[in-house]
Amino acid sequence: MSDLKNEWIHLLANYGHVGFTFVAAIFIGLGGGILLDQKVFDGRTAPWFTFIGLAFGIAAGFKNLLDIVWRHQDKKK
Amino acid sequence: MEHPILFISIILEKLGLPVPHGPVGHTILEQLCAPYMTYTWLVMAFLFVVSKLTLGNLEMIPGKGQNFWEIVVGGMDEFFADNMGREMTDKFFPMIATFGIYIAVANLIGLIPGFMSPTASINTTLALTIIVWVTHHVIGFSTHGIGYYKHFIGPMWWLIPLMLPIELISNFARLLSLSIRLFGNIMAKETLLGILFMLAGAFFAPLPIMILGVLVSLVQAMVFVLLTVVYFGQAKEHAH
Repeated sequence: MSDLKNEWIHLLANYGHVGFTFVAAIFIGLGGGILLDQKVFDGRTAPWFTFIGLAFGIAAGFKNLLDIVWRHQDKKK
Repeated sequence: MEHPILFISIILEKLGLPVPHGPVGHTILEQLCAPYMTYTWLVMAFLFVVSKLTLGNLEMIPGKGQNFWEIVVGGMDEFFADNMGREMTDKFFPMIATFGIYIAVANLIGLIPGFMSPTASINTTLALTIIVWVTHHVIGFSTHGIGYYKHFIGPMWWLIPLMLPIELISNFARLLSLSIRLFGNIMAKETLLGILFMLAGAFFAPLPIMILGVLVSLVQAMVFVLLTVVYFGQAKEHAH
């Protein structure tokens, strides 16, 4: 398989995937936070773990995005 | 999502088997007769029969069928070796190639009227994704032993409280995004085709979407395979 085609497949897979990964990371973070608040602590810590989970989820989403960009840059060098 | 005509379901109903009318049935027999299950078996039977017919007796000078498979399998083998190394490819080629061919055929079968893509059900795609996800952790643990946890703690020790949840969340996000992307794309294609067929089937309205459907089907199968290969490769390499 030629290098150009290989590169195309990589671009297609990575950048076609990044949107879904971003959303999935945010939802998993938020869901984990809500679960911790409502089920583990019975709503006593009500909004806090939800917010912390959401923050971690957003951070994880951005980390995924940056990982893909950096990995691609490393390969170019 | 309900199709206008699914011929296997019609045959099963004529035979007196219970075909569920919702997405999943209640009894075990109903669940086994759900459209995505019966069409999964159809795809499996199709792949088995076709490969048996074309590869039943291997020849030194390949005929048409053998030539086709040699190109497909040879191309995939080379592609995997480029991305995750020769040793890993020899080990995991049967699994990943089977997934790739199965997903491609399962996506494409939905373009024929009367058939349905098994991958348009979240059950099928989630099952495939869970197998891939578990396997890439098994690879990680068998390669690095207990030191595999270093993949999840980030570059510096004082960043552990911050990086550990982030890495865990992004790892679970793979499970969700890989399954939902395949499911969403194929279900969108199926739904769109169904709606266009009902609205203006007599004027060939679904035709342009069918052309796009071929593209989407092949691209999604390829993306699934490539991401599987990338995850396996990442689990194998050292933590940075």
